[in-house]
Parts: sequence; structure tokens; C-alpha cells
Amino acid sequence: MSALATLETGLLLGLYALLSGIWGVLWALAQFRQNPIFGRLAVAAYGLHTLVALTIVLWTPLGIGWKCLIVGSSLVFLALPPMTWRLLESTHQNAGSEHDREFSQHSPRVVARV
Amino acid sequence: MYRSQALAIKYFSAAMILFGVMTLFGLVSAYYYLNPDFLFGILPFNIAKIIHINTLVIWLLMGFMGSIYWFLPGELGRETAGIWAAEALFYVFCTAVAVVAVVFIFVQYGGSNEAALWFINQGRKYVEAPRWAALGIVVIMVVFAYNVIGTAVAARQTTGIITVLMIDLIPLILLYLIAFPAISNMSADLFWWWWLVHLWVEATWEVLIGCIMALALMQLLGTSRRIVETWLYIEVALVLGTGILGLGHHYFWIGTPSYWLTIGGFFSALEPLPLLGMVVHAVYDAGAQHMKTTNRPALYWMMAEAFGNFIGAGVWGFMITLPQVNLYAHGTQWTVSHGHFAFWGAYSCGVISVLYLVLQKTRNLAFVDGSLWKWSFAALNLGLVGMTGALLVSGFVQAFVERAMGGSTLNAFISGQENAWFVDGMVARFLLAIVFTAGYFVLVWDVVTLGRRAPAVAAVSPAQ
Amino acid sequence: MAFSDPAFWRAGAVSTITVMSIVLIMLTIDSLAAISPGGSHVPPYTVINQHIDYKFDSNHGFDAPVIGAAEPLFGKTLDNAAAAELIDRGKMVIQSRACIDCHTFFGNGAYYAPDLTKAWLDPDWEGWQAVTGADTREGAMVKFLMDPEQYRTWTRGMPNLGITEPEAQAVVAYLKWMAAVDTNGFPPNFNQIEKQR
Repeated sequence: MSALATLETGLLLGLYALLSGIWGVLWALAQFRQNPIFGRLAVAAYGLHTLVALTIVLWTPLGIGWKCLIVGSSLVFLALPPMTWRLLESTHQNAGSEHDREFSQHSPRVVARV
Repeated sequence: MYRSQALAIKYFSAAMILFGVMTLFGLVSAYYYLNPDFLFGILPFNIAKIIHINTLVIWLLMGFMGSIYWFLPGELGRETAGIWAAEALFYVFCTAVAVVAVVFIFVQYGGSNEAALWFINQGRKYVEAPRWAALGIVVIMVVFAYNVIGTAVAARQTTGIITVLMIDLIPLILLYLIAFPAISNMSADLFWWWWLVHLWVEATWEVLIGCIMALALMQLLGTSRRIVETWLYIEVALVLGTGILGLGHHYFWIGTPSYWLTIGGFFSALEPLPLLGMVVHAVYDAGAQHMKTTNRPALYWMMAEAFGNFIGAGVWGFMITLPQVNLYAHGTQWTVSHGHFAFWGAYSCGVISVLYLVLQKTRNLAFVDGSLWKWSFAALNLGLVGMTGALLVSGFVQAFVERAMGGSTLNAFISGQENAWFVDGMVARFLLAIVFTAGYFVLVWDVVTLGRRAPAVAAVSPAQ
Repeated sequence: MAFSDPAFWRAGAVSTITVMSIVLIMLTIDSLAAISPGGSHVPPYTVINQHIDYKFDSNHGFDAPVIGAAEPLFGKTLDNAAAAELIDRGKMVIQSRACIDCHTFFGNGAYYAPDLTKAWLDPDWEGWQAVTGADTREGAMVKFLMDPEQYRTWTRGMPNLGITEPEAQAVVAYLKWMAAVDTNGFPPNFNQIEKQR
């Protein structure tokens, strides 16, 4: 187990996390923009993320448990932007009337009488 | 304007001054690496660093308190309860901070006795302030909690956000009591100290800034209460769900059992997940508005908060959180790189965002824009990210040369510090710190002159 | 739909925090026993009366402290009470001089000065005995701490912190005790360097 390989693992883990963020941002942008380029770039970012994940699994000195965590996290990162988006749309749709938008308004569901 | 909001302005002013003090002593500390004889014998490195990290904590706390004092009356429909006490304590707070700083600079050390801990320096990182001042902070925070809870009681109602805030303030204050004891056993000392530091910055502070961002979003984007409250609960669940046992990532090497390597590594590896959710949420909010807003700096700083939190705390933390990597990266400039980026993204950007929201109201501006805020935004963020990058280079080299190859002896430490890449990284860090400092001065100039410059700023149509 | 109801997520937050907090408290209780002096990971303070080493432990796969034969510090064997008093004083010195704001302890602190976790075992102290004219490692360490500016060997210096001789002895005792704490192998490779020497 080379110390340099372990340190390089740290850099790979950072790249892994960064690419998951880039995938998330591009995917989210693709929902707004008409230009399909964002969707393609998002897929490319996730592709790179998967490549880095594979490198971590196949090349780094991490134990099997941690490699399973990396694979599992990659799947969660894949699902997270669409799930978050759906939940955002659903919460915004159920947000209610203009009355509810008032800054000082108290939603009747969450007001507690003290 | 409520008295609470007038107090908020005072807290933000003090916060901005302390931000400058933090930056100044950061520059001094950074320069020490380039010129070790700089102020040697006059102001040692550790004193400069103490002032740098203590003003970091205090300016952010003041920013949080300013934010809450600003939003609270509008939230609960009445003046803040006990505001007279808060107003008096503000001056006590500022005076105490000044006295503590003066003693740090001019007295520096006492003997190895209780008196030194009570009046000069407690010598535990982030909580070096002498016990009398720590006692003062407890009083100020208890009164702050009373202000919040008492207002809800007096108003005979509360909201979801304020309820979360009230509950959060209890552990936040109780954890601070860990700043008091002098524990001989270093393992036990650090064990409890990490309860304070981690469960502040990776738990209770995250909930606190979450509450502040929820309040700010309702004002900035007109987001409905139901939406911000739903997402506040989601954030609290995910951040604390990962962060409470993520505390274990500080328990790898301090003499604690080895099961912490697995538990701490696993839960802290999950910590970036909710932060990615926040980034997606930020893009959603920005996109839904087409980046149109009546307060551009507030919106951009809020975006910086979401992205900075994910990258600084999430990505940079993820690099060094697994124990296999941390064994080499621990206690190096790699840690410093993460720390600077994380604090900036998770907290500083959010406080600056609220500052601009407050200014929009106090200066009576229909629309906030201009070029100054863009320059400060660019310089501060580029300066900070640049520093982080430079420290990453130095940290990586140090981890390799000192820890991996050298075995962390004195000679290994020196080899690491004298390595050309390490030195170049520290030089670059200092230069970028100057860029950051320039950004600070532009920020201050913008804040002071906003709405007091050409009338065109207030009259410009939001359709730009 | 349950997912858009804030009450669902509020309940989720409460239950998550409750479960995680309970687990944290249970693990804390277990850890506190292990990190008390005499516990599984932290030696009693009287370990300063013995020889300390740091060797690779093949059972655990990392370096671990090895407590050896009698090796009194400053020529004196101390009982529990006296050792505890010395350690208490050492920690007071460390706090009053804010050592953790230049140095690291178990890798925690500031990064301007060396990590002190295994400083007691640093191979350099042999040379320091000659430089300071001390008979023992601990004697050299005391002389250095009392006047670090006199023994400056590097561009980055340690300032004179007004440490008295009893205070310096207490700090040295503290560092010897700290070197005997089982840190799960931090710092790595330390013993390899000693072997090479």
C-alpha cells in the first residue's frame, strides 16, 4: 500500500465529489434551458464521475467496504438531482395561494399557540 | 423600524469590523510563513493566529445574531422581547472583545495557573478567550435565546422556522460550556472539545444558518413559508443525520477506540449528499426567477453560499475524510485548505447575503445593483478559492513529505516546510490573501456607500 | 402527498436526530472509559516512570506504543498522585502558553510548528543533548523549553515563553505520557525513521 497512492486517492475522492456536483448543477440547468447541450453536458459529467468512481474501485488501496460505499454513493448521486427536483416541484405546486406568500403570514399548519 | 432591527444594524456593523480584524491577522499569520522573523519577539505567530480564528467565530456569531434580530419582529409581528437587555449587552460584547484582544496582544501569557486561564488566555483552539469573557459570551447567548423565546411567548405564537431556531439554540449554548474546563488528559480534552467545535460548525450552526437562509429566501425571492419550512426540515434531518455521528471523523487519532475510524469515516462521507441537494435547490430557485431579483448581490451571495458550502465543506472535506487518507493529511495545510473554504462557503457568504437584504431596507432601495458589489464578490471569492488551491498544493506536499515519507519527526516537519512546492504554495496563498483583502475593502466601501451614491442605483429598472 | 407535507419531514428530522444522538451518547460512554488514564487506549500517568517505544503492531496493522522497563523521568519514580500532579501542571503550562496555537497535539492545533504527539521519541533529542550540555534526553528538552531562542537551529524559531524549570519538567513529563497514548497509528511511519537511524 503506497503512501503516494493513498494521497492520490484523496485527490480522486475530491474529483469524484466535485463531478457529482457538476452533474447535479448541469442536470438542474437542463430542466430550465431549452438548449439540449446542458443535458448532454450533464450526462458527460456523470460519465466522468463514474470513470473516477471506477478508478477509485479498481486502482486505489481502499478496503472493500469503502469501495462499496463509493459505488453506493454514486448511485445516490445519480438519483439525487431528479428526486430533489421532483420534490421541489411538488412542494411549489402545493404551496397554496398568494395569501401564503406573504412574508409575515403564518401558515395555519405550523403555527403553534404558545 | 423596530428596535430589534436597529440593533441588527449595529451587530452587522461590528461583524464587518471584526471581519476586517480577522483578515488583518490572517495576513500577519500568512506572512509569518514567508518571513519567520516578522514580529518575532513582539507578536508571536500563535497570538496572531488566535486573534484570526477568534474573530472568525465572533464575526460570524454577530452576523447570525444580527440576522435574527432583523427578521424576528417581522416573523412574529412584534418587538423583540427583552430588547433593552440585548441593546445593553451589545456594547458589553464589543467592549469585551476589544479587551480580550488587547490582552492577547500586549500581555500574551500568564503563568501556569488558574488566574491565567481566567484573565489572559485559556489556550484551547477557537476558545482561547479567558474564562471571564467566555462567561460573558454565555450571558449574551442566554439573553439572545431569551429574546427569541420570549418574543414567541409574548406574541403567543411561533412559526416553524422560529421553533427550529429555539430548539437549536439550546444545544448551541450548552455545547459552549465545554469552553470552560481545563482537562489534563489531552484525549478527553480533545474528545469534548470536538463536541463543541464539530457540533457547532457541522450541526447547530448549520441549522442556525438554515433558519436564517429560510427567512432570507422569503424576503429575497418571495418564496412561500410552507416551502422554506419543508426544506428546512429536510436539511435539518439530512445534515444532522449525517453530522451527529460524522463527529467521529475527529476521533480517528486522539486515543479513542478504533471503531471510530469506520463510524466517523462512513457518516462523514455521507455529509456531502445533503449539500448537493442544496446546490440543486439553489439552481432551481435561481432558474425559477431567471436570476431576476430586486437585490442582485443578495442573490449572488446566497448562490455562493450554496455552492461554497458544497465545494468547501463537501468536496474538500470528502478528500480527507476517509481514515486511510486522513492518516497522512491530518494536521497539515490540507486541513487548513478545507477549513478556510468550508467556513467561507457554509457561513460567510450567507451572512453577507443577509447584510445586503438588510441594506436594501435601511437605505430604502427599490433595486440593489451596481459594479462595486461585483468587484468585491469577484475578489473575495477568487481570493478565497485561490488561497484554498494554494493551501491544497502545500498540504498535499506536506502530507507526502512530512507524514508519508518522513514519519512526522522534527526533521520530517522541516523537510516538508522547506520543500519548494510547499513554499510556493504559501507564497501564492499570501498573494491571494491580498486579493481577498482588497475584496474586503471594496465590500466595506459598497456597504457604506450603497444608496448614498448616484440616485440612478435606486432608479434602475430590474429588467436589466 | 406525504412528501410535500412539512409535518412528514419535521417528524423525520426529530426521529433522525433522536436516533443519532442516542447512538452518539452510547459511543461516548464507551469511549470515555477507553480514553481515561488506565483505559484501553490511554495509559495511566505513572507510565512516565517507564521506557516508551512505538512499534508496528501486526495484529492491528498500524504502529502502537510499547511500554517497557523502568525508566524514571529526571531520575525519580513517581506514585500515582505525584505523576498526576506533574501531568496536571504540564497541561496548565501548555494551555497558559497556548502551545496548541503553533503546534499540533494528536494532529490537532496549528501547523506552524511540529506535531508533538511523539515528540518524546524524536530521534533528534540525542543531538540536542550535546548542544545543550544535558546528560539526558529530558534534560535537553527542559533546557530547550526554558530558552528556545538560545537553541534556535532553524529559520522558524520558537519564542521564549518564560517557562520556568518546574514548568518545563512538567511539559516534558506530559510529552512522555502523550507518546504512550494509542492513537491508532498516528503519526504513521515514525518508528521506521528511528529504525533507519
